[in-house]
Amino acid sequence: MVDQNLLLLGYVLPIVFGLVLMTKAGDGLGASLSGRQPLLEHARRRHMLGMNLVVLAGFVVSVHTLWISNKISEGGNVCSTATVFSCDDVLGNAQYNTDPVFGLPWGMIGMLAFGALMFITNSVSKEPDALWAENYLKYGKYMTAVGVPIIALLVSYEIAMEKICQFCTMAHIANMVCLFGFWRAGKMHEEGLWNDELPEDAKEASA
Amino acid sequence: MKTNTEADVRTDTGIKVMALFFVAIIFLALTTDPIKVGTKEGDRAPLLEGKAYNGSSWYEFDMDSYLTKNWTAGDAEGQWLLIEFMDTDCPFCVRSAGDVGFDAEYFMKLQPSHRTNSGMGPWDGPVVNFIASATELDIPGHETSRDEIKAFRDKSGEEVCDGKSCTERSGDAHPFVYIDDIDQDNMKEWKVPGTPAYFLVQPDGIVAWTSTENAQEKVFDAIMRITPQGA
Repeated sequence: MVDQNLLLLGYVLPIVFGLVLMTKAGDGLGASLSGRQPLLEHARRRHMLGMNLVVLAGFVVSVHTLWISNKISEGGNVCSTATVFSCDDVLGNAQYNTDPVFGLPWGMIGMLAFGALMFITNSVSKEPDALWAENYLKYGKYMTAVGVPIIALLVSYEIAMEKICQFCTMAHIANMVCLFGFWRAGKMHEEGLWNDELPEDAKEASA
Repeated sequence: MKTNTEADVRTDTGIKVMALFFVAIIFLALTTDPIKVGTKEGDRAPLLEGKAYNGSSWYEFDMDSYLTKNWTAGDAEGQWLLIEFMDTDCPFCVRSAGDVGFDAEYFMKLQPSHRTNSGMGPWDGPVVNFIASATELDIPGHETSRDEIKAFRDKSGEEVCDGKSCTERSGDAHPFVYIDDIDQDNMKEWKVPGTPAYFLVQPDGIVAWTSTENAQEKVFDAIMRITPQGA
């Protein structure tokens, strides 16, 4: 069995890297990486790359939580520990591991949500100046904002159980980072940073 | 010729995202075999929760501690569970208390022979741990309490069970734990239609038999039929 902390690191890294690309700290990183990838010099491209990374990590971690839920229902132990970090105890709790409306596992809901966000971020990445792009970014912001009370509900479950599911927390963090990303993309539009002009060296590289 | 290239981008992206989604679903389908949580035969039993009384004190009940997660069918080592949903004021529960107690002491290997099924030698099957979940049905006159649950289990005290002293119920004091389910949480979770109701649960937590699906079969006969013996 692969060490669960190692797997967790596999989700932390793209989320942190994606977040860095979306913030001011990403400017320096973009500059240093622009030697290898000139397109990263452009703030909007860095921002969308960061968002795509975070959304992909959120989707994969959602698949992972659903996989853990299924394994637990088979009777297996995946990440059961005596400490407060025990996703088996959280995902295996029949009282809390499905949504109260449709009865779907939370991992499946995460997959659907991040799948929809992935469609938005990928589409906008490819056609950032399309007429629908700004609206799509707004839809993404609303979707991730709706996720906030749902995350609060799930955290309240964890408090009730006195256990934390570290993989679920990763998905929650990915949603919050996406909310920030969509909000910042809106700000970039307002501040005129969302233009499609490539730096000169990037133009040469892509030519 | 006019073409809408924007639509192409979204269609292309939509197809790719859906493909990724279905790859994930196929991966889950190939690598896992989930079992539904429920109370029908073959389902994974929901966990019972609440304070339990073992004859001396009340403590937090942990159903997980009774289960053997890596148990395989036919293995006589794992311990089974017989869960009874009952109400201390339900006439059927009061009348059947004697038989339940005799079955419990035999299948829990506390007695070398069955007291009412003559000719039965020592039980050579797996230990079947009996557990009672005591609820309060929404029927006038069915008010219960922890004291009444204790009185019913121990056949002691001055509490009244179904209009008579609890000490007068059939059988002896029960040797198994009683869970306080006065708030009906467990009963609702297990979708129990009425009391008494019995569920035989395998060591790995899968429901093997229910009295609601086998109304004609008694608990004793079900355990004899389903559990592995003579190992």
